[in-house]
Amino acid sequence: MKKESSHEPGRKYGMVIDLDKCTGCGSCMVACMAENNVSFKEDESNKLDSITWMRVYRLTNNKPFPETEIRYLPRPCMHCGGKGDLGHSPCVSVCPATATDYDHKTGIVSQIYTRCFGCRYCMAACPYHARYFNWWDPIWPADLKKSLSPNVSPRMRGVVEKCSFCFHRYQLAMERAYNEDRRELEEAEYQTACTQACPAGAIVFGDLNNPDHAVHTLKDHPNAFRLLERLGTNPKVYYISDREWVRRSGDNYLNNEKTNTKPAVQEHHS
Amino acid sequence: MKIDRRSFLALGIGAAAGTAFTPLPWKLTDDLSIWTQNWPWTPVPEDGDAYYDHSVCTLCPGGCGILVRKINDRIVKIEGMPSHPVNRGGICALGISGPQLLYGPDRVIAPMKRSGARGEGKWTTLSWDDAIAEVLDRLKKLEADNKTEHLACICDTDRGTVPQLFKRMLSLFGSPNFMTTPSMYDSYEAVLKKMHGRKDTLDIGFDFENTDFILSFGSGVIEGWGSPVRMIMANSAWKTKKAKQIQIEQRLSNTAASSNGLFAVKPGTEADLALGLACVIMEEELYDKAFTGAYSTGFPEFRNMVTKNYNPDVVAEKTGIERHLIIELARHFASAGTSSLAICGRGKGQTAGSMMEFMAVHSLNALVGKINTPGGVWSVEHPDYIPWAKEMNVRAAIAGKKRIDEAGSPVYPDSLSLLNRLPSKILESKESPIEMLFVSNANPAYTLAGTDKVIEALGKIPFIVSFSSYMDETADQADLILPNHIYLERYQDVPVRGGLARPVIGLTRPVVEPQYDTMHSGDVVLKLAKGLGGQVGEGFPWDDYKDCLEKTMADRWKELEETGFWTDEAYQPKPWAGAFGGTYGKFAFSDTILPLPDLEGDVKDYPLILIPKESMRISSSHIGDTPFTVKTVPDTELKGKTLVIEINPRTGKEQGLADGKDAVLKTPLGQVRVKVSFFEGIMPGLMAMPKGLGHTAYGKYLKGKGASYNALVGPMEDPVSGQDISWGIRARISRV
Amino acid sequence: MDSAFIPKGVKRCSFGTFSLGMLVLTAIVFWGFYAAILCWLKGLNQTNMNDSYGFALWIWADLAVIAIGGGAFFTGLLRYVIGLDELKNIINFAVIVGFCCYCSAMLILAIDIGQPLRGWFIFWHANVHSMLTEVAFCLSLYLSVLAIEYIPILLENRKIDEVPFFHNLGHTMHGAMAVFAATGAFLSCFHQGSLGGVTGVLFGRPFGYREGIFVWPWTFFLYTWSAAACGPCFTMLTCKITEKISGKKLVKDNVYDLLGKISGWMIGTYMVAKIADTLYWAYVTSPSLGFAVMDYYNAHPLHHGIWILILEIVICGVLPAMILISRKGRANATLFTLATILAVIGVCLNRWVMVMTPMAMPVMTFDSWVSYFPSWQEVATTILPLAGGIMIVSLSFRYLPVFPQEQELNPVD
Repeated sequence: MKKESSHEPGRKYGMVIDLDKCTGCGSCMVACMAENNVSFKEDESNKLDSITWMRVYRLTNNKPFPETEIRYLPRPCMHCGGKGDLGHSPCVSVCPATATDYDHKTGIVSQIYTRCFGCRYCMAACPYHARYFNWWDPIWPADLKKSLSPNVSPRMRGVVEKCSFCFHRYQLAMERAYNEDRRELEEAEYQTACTQACPAGAIVFGDLNNPDHAVHTLKDHPNAFRLLERLGTNPKVYYISDREWVRRSGDNYLNNEKTNTKPAVQEHHS
Repeated sequence: MKIDRRSFLALGIGAAAGTAFTPLPWKLTDDLSIWTQNWPWTPVPEDGDAYYDHSVCTLCPGGCGILVRKINDRIVKIEGMPSHPVNRGGICALGISGPQLLYGPDRVIAPMKRSGARGEGKWTTLSWDDAIAEVLDRLKKLEADNKTEHLACICDTDRGTVPQLFKRMLSLFGSPNFMTTPSMYDSYEAVLKKMHGRKDTLDIGFDFENTDFILSFGSGVIEGWGSPVRMIMANSAWKTKKAKQIQIEQRLSNTAASSNGLFAVKPGTEADLALGLACVIMEEELYDKAFTGAYSTGFPEFRNMVTKNYNPDVVAEKTGIERHLIIELARHFASAGTSSLAICGRGKGQTAGSMMEFMAVHSLNALVGKINTPGGVWSVEHPDYIPWAKEMNVRAAIAGKKRIDEAGSPVYPDSLSLLNRLPSKILESKESPIEMLFVSNANPAYTLAGTDKVIEALGKIPFIVSFSSYMDETADQADLILPNHIYLERYQDVPVRGGLARPVIGLTRPVVEPQYDTMHSGDVVLKLAKGLGGQVGEGFPWDDYKDCLEKTMADRWKELEETGFWTDEAYQPKPWAGAFGGTYGKFAFSDTILPLPDLEGDVKDYPLILIPKESMRISSSHIGDTPFTVKTVPDTELKGKTLVIEINPRTGKEQGLADGKDAVLKTPLGQVRVKVSFFEGIMPGLMAMPKGLGHTAYGKYLKGKGASYNALVGPMEDPVSGQDISWGIRARISRV
Repeated sequence: MDSAFIPKGVKRCSFGTFSLGMLVLTAIVFWGFYAAILCWLKGLNQTNMNDSYGFALWIWADLAVIAIGGGAFFTGLLRYVIGLDELKNIINFAVIVGFCCYCSAMLILAIDIGQPLRGWFIFWHANVHSMLTEVAFCLSLYLSVLAIEYIPILLENRKIDEVPFFHNLGHTMHGAMAVFAATGAFLSCFHQGSLGGVTGVLFGRPFGYREGIFVWPWTFFLYTWSAAACGPCFTMLTCKITEKISGKKLVKDNVYDLLGKISGWMIGTYMVAKIADTLYWAYVTSPSLGFAVMDYYNAHPLHHGIWILILEIVICGVLPAMILISRKGRANATLFTLATILAVIGVCLNRWVMVMTPMAMPVMTFDSWVSYFPSWQEVATTILPLAGGIMIVSLSFRYLPVFPQEQELNPVD
């Protein structure tokens, strides 16, 4: 269909997160903030205006004590491939100014802060609430500006931002590879900040299309599922849990429906 | 006139139309949009060469190795060190946000002297020379008045050169009153003394990596207990190899949620359950007879006492756990394939626990022979690398002088420090027996239970010197602040006391130049010692702290500088023969059980129990949280500035509460306005509040958010160790 | 005082009374602009929107004013393309009201975006897949068309008409109006539709998502149809309000009757389509995504209850359609007015639900419903164009010969 993807085999970066290993410790959230110059403000307790590219949700089975169970669910941007995996992510297809784009080489959904004019249509489109608006000017008091990384530009007020799968790390890795006259990346060469930080090793990141990468096999785990599979957003983040109620929390079901564990068959580009 | 107007109009329209065809408006529009992309108040980080430097994190006792990513001379990121034996690349939220501590607004940026009332927050800066001269004046006065033991010092630990320098200075000066922040390690070390009979200090170690069954008595295994990152990694490994973990706790903590089973015993009956399990193991002859036979003493007495008082029926009644479940759990524990181990120390282990509980749990491990065996509980020899810490003349200087907290006295022979007893000792006396207090890497005004009493006691001390890098609660009460470099700016050895199964010493290195007018506390101590001269001065033969550290580390120094850590890869604990001291060189079971104190508060007035809720996302130690970590606190714990209390919906409704609504929480020590969050995962009759919030110091990102657990809860003294073993308090809650 | 500017042969209120009214409106406009400036200078933290409610009062206001401004294109279409000549007696007014509506939408959009100075990126970096791009292009083009349609009316002002150039220009433009009206109708169909597409294409939001034909979801057609149906009702309603305030009849009843009848049939057919769409969505689309239809309405019965659907479809849809279709209903002035009011409420309610509920509703099972109440800045900036619109309509009515039948209906002694 798309020309871009036909001549190059196309990497498709994605994640598999083991929810049974996730301890909800918050390392991924903070690693992401520190890596990506995410701003902060005095009160962040209103989670509706708190920028957390990686947000950890608490899921519960709502059974009475002591049968209660909880699981934590880290939610980065899902980097949806959209219906048929053609790159028409819910957000990309609606952005009027092409400020967010689907990179067919990596499957990563980008966000161009200097082009975004803040209409927030993408936020309305994203069912995962992965997109955040800069309602305020970012402020780094005292000497905190010194802690900002030059690899990611701080965002100005009035634009939308979101997880980029640490795309700058991909670029740096590719740069190094090109300098060594390579075109392919080893699995370890490009890892996101959250994956790297996770003490539980619950997040695994890599090229879903590459059989040498762990995610390639893990995504087909019998207990693997994706969030809101039925909407056809085609996310690149998979979750694993041995708990049926957790897998069921991943999607909406009518009362009489059975939980569907296997992700829908996807179209691969060849 | 008409013509004028008409031509004016025409000119106007013409000009407007004409301009539209020039590039001017388009250029301006473009410039405007470019301006919005380069707003001068949105920073553009300076670019430069990126490189990594290694160091060790000191924000908790975990001792993780860190890689510091730098751009020129700026720290832009902290990551875990993949080659470090403790954390193997993993890192916690607080550790990552280290740069915010370095560059953040809460730092004390120069020596400061109080200029208002205590706690008023009025300060004047002064030079380091003046500040040190002032301390020296006061020390000399104490010396002249022959009141040297009126000097006391509080450190986070007694491990490593910096606390030891403080301790040495105190000792040579003539004061035995060196105290440390309490933790579960105090209890564990007392247990090792009592049951292993060893005079030297041993570290408790757990071979979690090789165990198949973990029985946790309320320990927050994945919530900051032990060395937090190592524990989370171990937890993942258990999942992979399908090891079992059973949690004994009253609420669905993250650890409980991650476990294979939750045993919700009635609060305060953990030790009873442990002894109940011991009873089953002994009655069913499931214990390790090789161990109890040849390597222990007191076993028959212990067996008698336990079978008499803790049979499953009695314990079922006490704990609320059904008899058959107790028996099954005991069988499982005693026969769990290759290896099982029981641990205790509640939550993050930031408080001591009752000796009854710790000894009962340790007895369980002993019964199944899991002392110093693979996958078991180890007594790890402390890497004795500070030769000058044990010099005889230093001990002689304080011979005959009594510690104010009575630690090590005949009453509490197995305790090294009882900081929890300091406030009441001061408040009992008319004039404070402590006239001068040093506080380094500790924040007792926040972390000790019964904050009001602690602050009242501090208020009676005539002169307090804080060595804090941050404007914390204790610094707030100080007369003089001599700010230390933070860990990213200084050298320091970090012997890890985190329940590791081998000795590890890390080296904290100055990865950036000191950012402000601060001084290494080790250097301050050296300056003070030299200023005092005489016996004290002679006891500090080093040029400066780095000289001291290098000489102390001797052969290990080079390795530490290069790799950031030293460890004994092949460490094995001593085998049973030779592992124990005491009269018989055997493990000592004990049949003495002293009754535990009741929970503070009257049941009639306070029908519920308040317990703390500890989490990796909130630092509840002397280190305050960063803007980033505060951002991770969920709105089920903090909403605006209001603390959110977790309560079982059933209990909540009984108390007339509504989910998400305001309420007033009251304990015998105080009351606070809270919001209520109904959560099924807590035992009815209990309330849990996040620990680590409610700071009255630090800056706007932390101060005044939520309420402090320690302000609502009083200390509870263990009859054996004298440690504070408080784990909750009676409370009530009502709708507003 | 300003009698030289007032059209010949008609009577207007005193300049004093008029100025007083204008003063009040100006004050409201200033208040609105103050709020707008706050938003521009301090950013959108001045609103009560949040990351869940990224679209809120303003987007609703945009969709609503454009829907009710649809009277201009549809009346134009009927008058110039279909050739219903009677409608010439209301077309001027329809154009002015439409012009006000579209100006309002543009103004609100300029406040609503986080980076107004980059607003033109929507044209420069246009993404053809985005409904919003289509909206932006059609909206701005149609606003130009409306301006062009408005100019000849302006030129009819007594004083301006004295200038030969303007007189001739006006005359020429009048002649070309059919072309503009046709262009306008075409553009309007598209952007009304694309506004419908705005929520209709959101396949991540089951409440708003609709299947459809090719790239257009059903809402695309429903929005166009409903705007064409209810827009004229708003024109008639405002016309009647103008009559009420000026105290005289301005348009003959047969004009109302004709437009009312057409509206009635349009609303009626729209309702058939809307009900079919709702049923298909409720019983086919939603269940396939895992939602029972009552999942949408049961969680927050007060704010997002089924009552809204009943109100929209039965009371503000079927009922006005029945009134306007029946001759008796049209003949009864009270019922007629009631029907126009209901139709306007109905279409606004439709836009409200389509904007608000998808924002409030959680899609992930572990997410929760979000509530929202606009800040005063949002309210003020929404009232601003309303007051501005009233000013434009009042000024036009006072100084321009808007109603061709006015003189005949109200002979001045």
